[in-house]
Amino acid sequence: MSGIRKEFGSTVALSDFTLEIESGELVCLLGPSGCGKTTALRILAGFEKADSGTVTVGGEDITFVPTPKRQFGMVFQEYSLFPNMTGRENVEFALKLRKAGSAERKDTIDRLLEVTGLTQHADKYPHQMSGGQRQRVALARALASNPRVLLLDEPLSALDAKVRDSLREEIRRVQREIGVTTLFVTHDQHEALAIADRVGVMSHGRLEQIDPPRALYEQPDSAFVAGFVGTVNRIPAQADGDRWRVLNRSVPGTPTVPGATLAAIRPEQIAVDVDAAGDDTVREVVFLGPLTRLTVDHGGTTLIADLLTSEFGGAATGDRVRVRLRDDVDEIVLIEG
Amino acid sequence: MGVGMKVLRAIFLILLGLYFFVPLLAMARFAFQSVPVVLLTPEKLLEGWSISGLLEVFGNPEFQRATLISLQLMVLAIVLTLVLLLPLAALVEIRAPQLRTLMTAITLLPWVVPPVALVVGVAATFRNTVPWFLASPYSLVPFYVLWALPFSYRALDAGLRSIGARTLYEAARVMGASTFTIIVRVIIPNMIGAIIAASVLTAALVLGEFAFAALLLKETLPTFMAEFQRSEPRAGMALALAVMLLTALIIWIGVRALRKRGMDLQAAGV
Repeated sequence: MSGIRKEFGSTVALSDFTLEIESGELVCLLGPSGCGKTTALRILAGFEKADSGTVTVGGEDITFVPTPKRQFGMVFQEYSLFPNMTGRENVEFALKLRKAGSAERKDTIDRLLEVTGLTQHADKYPHQMSGGQRQRVALARALASNPRVLLLDEPLSALDAKVRDSLREEIRRVQREIGVTTLFVTHDQHEALAIADRVGVMSHGRLEQIDPPRALYEQPDSAFVAGFVGTVNRIPAQADGDRWRVLNRSVPGTPTVPGATLAAIRPEQIAVDVDAAGDDTVREVVFLGPLTRLTVDHGGTTLIADLLTSEFGGAATGDRVRVRLRDDVDEIVLIEG
Repeated sequence: MGVGMKVLRAIFLILLGLYFFVPLLAMARFAFQSVPVVLLTPEKLLEGWSISGLLEVFGNPEFQRATLISLQLMVLAIVLTLVLLLPLAALVEIRAPQLRTLMTAITLLPWVVPPVALVVGVAATFRNTVPWFLASPYSLVPFYVLWALPFSYRALDAGLRSIGARTLYEAARVMGASTFTIIVRVIIPNMIGAIIAASVLTAALVLGEFAFAALLLKETLPTFMAEFQRSEPRAGMALALAVMLLTALIIWIGVRALRKRGMDLQAAGV
């Protein structure tokens, strides 16, 4: 998708939106609601017409190709199975539309039902299935016609947390197995970071940054990305030659905008030492299982530190402590002035 | 709930029941018991009941003709309603949802315009252009379709929304289906409940409609009944009760059919 612009009335949903997905790659579009991610997906699917820009798949310009001729597969947020058909019939419907022969249909259906672990539930009607099973059928149905691109529009958000996690892993496994190029839209950062080859963070109709999950987390390009993906402390940094002084240490830093002096420090990059002579005060201690999250008052700013519970020194609310940058932090990102 | 509330509720329900059933019982007595009311004593309460009057009406050729016409009008009105409205409501929902508010307003119009204005307007137009149209009793069908519109369209529209027609449409679109295929293979099979609801409501309205038929001088069951009641008040009353039961039966069959599909009239948008 290149140079896409889309307006709804006076609202600009997408402006100069460009996204390239490699063959076989799984890209997540992540952003708050109203950022334009769903619009981008709907334009790719052909449900919406872009005001300007082009959509290309495998070198073919499909900007004006109607949806039925795009040969895509799609899974929706809402349950979209046809209620009058069983799971198997739902998958078969897609194959019939592609004019597949009956032997081919049977083979494809059996293979897909097996891949998605649905063989036992295939002859149930949608209202007899759980939410997770329905979305699996929807996935099998989307893959049935051997799509050029698989579109996933928040397919997990109607499910409860446990099913969501297992189905997420499953979507990833199936996608790798079949090697289908996939665009996954979500507002859930954990989902995006866990599943994607690359995550594109969107804000106000623009793609802010697109990178592999780890790069996105460790080297955010902007204050928005740093704040949206994971938790971030904004700590003032002083220039120290070609390095930057943050808390107790001086480290190399990369400004995202000219004149930026606020360092984006992740909670796990901060260490907290109990020290009765320290200047900082513990405000809150939250036990999160493997991690313990401390909220610390550091000279008027509130810092969040995630410590491994096994390394946590046992500070309590009101204790005097000293915060420092962990020794293994060798580079920081500076956001905003 | 307190005892006081329970008593109040019981009193209210009893009063409401009396309000509905006393006139019906009075009608039934008048229609089927040949004992003048001034001579009615407790001993005579069970005397002189007979349905011969009603049976006589059933044998009346004029009645048979009027009933046949009404049943034909009912079937035609249902067919025309479904043929016209089902694709229209489906297309509005899946292709132009922004028009839905407008459609809701438009479909209420038939009840804003009084029948007499509608008939006079239509008659003035058609009498000069296609006089044969108004001469046929079937000219009532379009009026009935319009008259049932506020109910029938709403039932279909609610049905479309309850099955999530838009998502189903988009899902099928991506798979490569044409709009026609989607409406026939996906939308309609999932809307049987709403189709039953729209049909039952149309049927009930057609069987009870008097104003259009009277204004256009057609003999349908209701106009026959009005006429008949003047000459044969008791048999006329018996007939009125019978038609009421028939209409109730149609609605009951419809509701049962909906229940079987796990819906009620409310879910069908009524």
